[in-house]
Amino acid sequence: MIKSHPSEAILYQYAAGDLGASMTLVVGTHIDMCPVCQQTVGEIEEDLCRQHLDTVVETLTVPSSDHEGISKAHCDKMLEEIFSSEAKPPVKAEELICLEGRRFILPRTLAHNRSRIGDWTNMVGKLWRAPVNVGPKGHTNLIYMAPGTQVPEHTHKGQEATLVVDGVFNDEKDIYYNGDFILLDGERTHTPQTTDHDCLTLATLDAPLHFTSGISRLLNPFSSLFFRT
Amino acid sequence: MQVMSERTSQRGVMKASQQDTADKAAELLAKVAESRSRAAFSELFSHFAPKLQAYGTRQFGNEQTAMDLVQETMTNVWHKAHLFKPDRGSPSTWIFTIARNIRFDLLRKNKKRKDDISADELWPILAEKNDSLDDGYALDNDVLMQEIAHYYGQLPNAQRVVVEKIYIEGKSQQEVSDSLGIPLGTVKSRTRLALKKLKELIVEHD
Ligand SMILES: [Zn+2]
Repeated sequence: MIKSHPSEAILYQYAAGDLGASMTLVVGTHIDMCPVCQQTVGEIEEDLCRQHLDTVVETLTVPSSDHEGISKAHCDKMLEEIFSSEAKPPVKAEELICLEGRRFILPRTLAHNRSRIGDWTNMVGKLWRAPVNVGPKGHTNLIYMAPGTQVPEHTHKGQEATLVVDGVFNDEKDIYYNGDFILLDGERTHTPQTTDHDCLTLATLDAPLHFTSGISRLLNPFSSLFFRT
Repeated sequence: MQVMSERTSQRGVMKASQQDTADKAAELLAKVAESRSRAAFSELFSHFAPKLQAYGTRQFGNEQTAMDLVQETMTNVWHKAHLFKPDRGSPSTWIFTIARNIRFDLLRKNKKRKDDISADELWPILAEKNDSLDDGYALDNDVLMQEIAHYYGQLPNAQRVVVEKIYIEGKSQQEVSDSLGIPLGTVKSRTRLALKKLKELIVEHD
């Protein structure tokens, strides 16, 4: 069972289209994996629709004559353009991603962004990264940790959202499984690691990470490399 | 998919008039989908265009952009009516989510880079059902590459090359299609055949 979900406020912003592109991708991928949030978002969309559309006009039988603001002539012109328009080609999805002999099936939203996922780069040890080209360059990445991998302790400045796409990892506070959505705010220090299983996560952040542990002196020069391109 | 029954019971909360409106709109959408009925679409248009226009005006504070939102939203309704599923929610909620996507793109339009993401990628609500690979394509998640590596030498050459590129080099199917100069459909069918064969081999030796 997924135990860590986006807050209702975030789901509301997601459904209204008010989140940035990278956060929309992470939240949307969580929703693909989470029947509970699917249900909630469905209800929020109905609610938003009531606010924004349903309350405006009640009848369906008005002939296309004078509505406030749209003249009959304007309507006819728009209809003509619509009937003669071409359908946009649908966005292609591709579900599979491979790394180091492991294959992962991507959830629906991420699968529709497969072409935005760049090449894997080995960062340090058994830690891999592939950039996802959405939003500011380098802010959104797939991160793969092989079993027994530790991300050096680091502090976030700004906000980081992480979604477990497949596998399990833990930090000092908790253990996270498939579908868990973790939002870290501001000045928090943590050390993600894997033990027996590997883990594929999707992460997006506002600000680059700052490493704090002993190894940080080693890594800090790379930290720009690490989460940005 | 179990979610639907609860969603439907929720709709019992709707006022009777709203339910009638929703049923009527669903009927019209079905006519558009089945017979490309321009009359049915025109009726939908005259119902939803003013609502969408009001939504757009509140969102953008600009009449011209509001009209763009009406036109682009209704253009999607015309082409994608077959994707509306009455058991998943009301027609107006479906149309609202299309408008929400168009709004997202219109708001970003002025700062748009060439490869900027579009709302259709972020909320794939208008994706065709079969735009991704069918289930036969996926092996069990836990089957390791090593197992495949053990058997893939037994595949016919053409299939082995495709499997190698996808599973070992990590190429996308489109990239394989480009690099081998063969159609994407061929890459897909070769992959499918190869995986079917591999599954058989793995099961045989289990
Ligand atoms: Zn959830």
